[in-house]
Amino acid sequence: MTGAVQERATGTRQAGAALISIRDLWKQLGEQQVLKGFDVDVATGETLVILGRSGGGKSVLLKHIIGLMKPDRGDVLVEGESIVALSERQLSRVRKKIAVLFQSAALFDSMTVEENIAFPLRETGLKDQGEIDARVAGALEMVDLAGEQKKMPEKLSGGMRKRVGLARAIVTEPRCILYDEPTTGLDPIVADSINRLIRRLQKRLGITSIVVTHDMKSAFHVGDQVAYLYDGRAYFKGTPEALRASSDPLIHDFIEGRSRELSGDD
Amino acid sequence: MSDFIRLFGRNVLSFCAYLGQLLLLAIDTFRSIFTAPIRWKLFMKQLLEVGYRSQLVVLVTGGFTGAVFAAQTYFQFHRLQMDSAVGAVVSVSMFRELGPVLTGLMLAGRVGAAMSAEIGTMKVTEQIDALRALGVYPVDYLVVPRVLAMMISTPLLVAECVGLGILAGYFVGVVVLDIQGAYYLDYLLKFTGSRDIKMALTKGFVFSLIIVFVSCHQGLNAKEGAVGVGRAPTEAVVIGSLSILIINFFLSLILNAIFPAGL
Repeated sequence: MTGAVQERATGTRQAGAALISIRDLWKQLGEQQVLKGFDVDVATGETLVILGRSGGGKSVLLKHIIGLMKPDRGDVLVEGESIVALSERQLSRVRKKIAVLFQSAALFDSMTVEENIAFPLRETGLKDQGEIDARVAGALEMVDLAGEQKKMPEKLSGGMRKRVGLARAIVTEPRCILYDEPTTGLDPIVADSINRLIRRLQKRLGITSIVVTHDMKSAFHVGDQVAYLYDGRAYFKGTPEALRASSDPLIHDFIEGRSRELSGDD
Repeated sequence: MSDFIRLFGRNVLSFCAYLGQLLLLAIDTFRSIFTAPIRWKLFMKQLLEVGYRSQLVVLVTGGFTGAVFAAQTYFQFHRLQMDSAVGAVVSVSMFRELGPVLTGLMLAGRVGAAMSAEIGTMKVTEQIDALRALGVYPVDYLVVPRVLAMMISTPLLVAECVGLGILAGYFVGVVVLDIQGAYYLDYLLKFTGSRDIKMALTKGFVFSLIIVFVSCHQGLNAKEGAVGVGRAPTEAVVIGSLSILIINFFLSLILNAIFPAGL
């Protein structure tokens, strides 16, 4: 742990104005204490990658950032405003600033691609069909799916669904996008295209991003900062370079994809 | 013995918790109806699904129930030479019990299952989280249109069920079993009053709320996986149907005090 703390001091870039701050977050689900005091700041315009093992609480953490789950203890601040005590209706205002790309893309299966992407626009009160069409086409172009407006979600491949999910997330030009395992279940080529897309969106639109993943390639590709979630806490916080250079055995095992339980069998 | 008490206590507590959750959902829904904008397009879609498309099921149920009830009543009453009372018995029974209860049970099966399956699937595929993440309150979007559609459709469907039941009863009694039409109608009209219509519509309204809240609650609380999604409609239909039958008994006693039967 000492090693990780040292790296935190050297590797972490001093965050400017934090768009999102997570303070001492605790959450118990059933018998399992999933989060045990997780802390992290995400500065405006940067991409934070939260790494961690499957079932380690990454998605739970992401759901806290947008208020889909309430912590047992701790705080989540969005632009300095605590969202923990907000009611579901009050959260709508905060959620309009933050978009989410869900692990399964979570497209509305009763709607076409076009209707899915237009949904958040209509919810913000936009009525002009011409403008809606133009913005849907623009969002689809951004994710390299121009002309796919009329398809139903079930006709799309996994990668295409994620792209449509991403188009739906960016169409309202949010301040921040949360990505829940954006490359999981995709072949390496499609995964790479999603990584490039995340990078492109950050560069072109200046969107702040939080990417939750266990895909190291993705982490190194898209991350400005990396936090390693281990045992409910941020075990490491720093740049991808600092993570890669780490001599901490736990981090090393994770980067290398080495299982300690089975190491004796080799 | 202590195990039995513990088990009994746990079940009572979980039943109370369930009732509490249903009540909270109902409060939230009615607050939404009066404070949030209503999504008329979704409401119309539900009205079509719940009201229009349920008609065949409800009409067949009402028609054949009225017919068989008229025949059975005739077989008994004929021995006592009370043939002409068949119309009154069929009419009052259809209005006060059979129409609302059978419509409720058919809707719990047809509509309740569909609602809980649809909402349950949305829950486990993160579509409800997506709605919330897009700043849309799921109760406004999913529950309110369904509740409004059910509150309007169910009493009308009850009316259709009762109407066709009485017509079918008349057909079986007068045309098939040769009861004198004038007497049949005279007794029918003499014993059926606005109190019976009010009772049928009130029951239909109450059953609509039971079906829609039980179904939406099951869907919104569906557990992950195929088993979880599969269980939601099953439980919605079982809980909805049993609740209708049980509540109908108490409702009958209360409504009979308000709208007493008889001449």
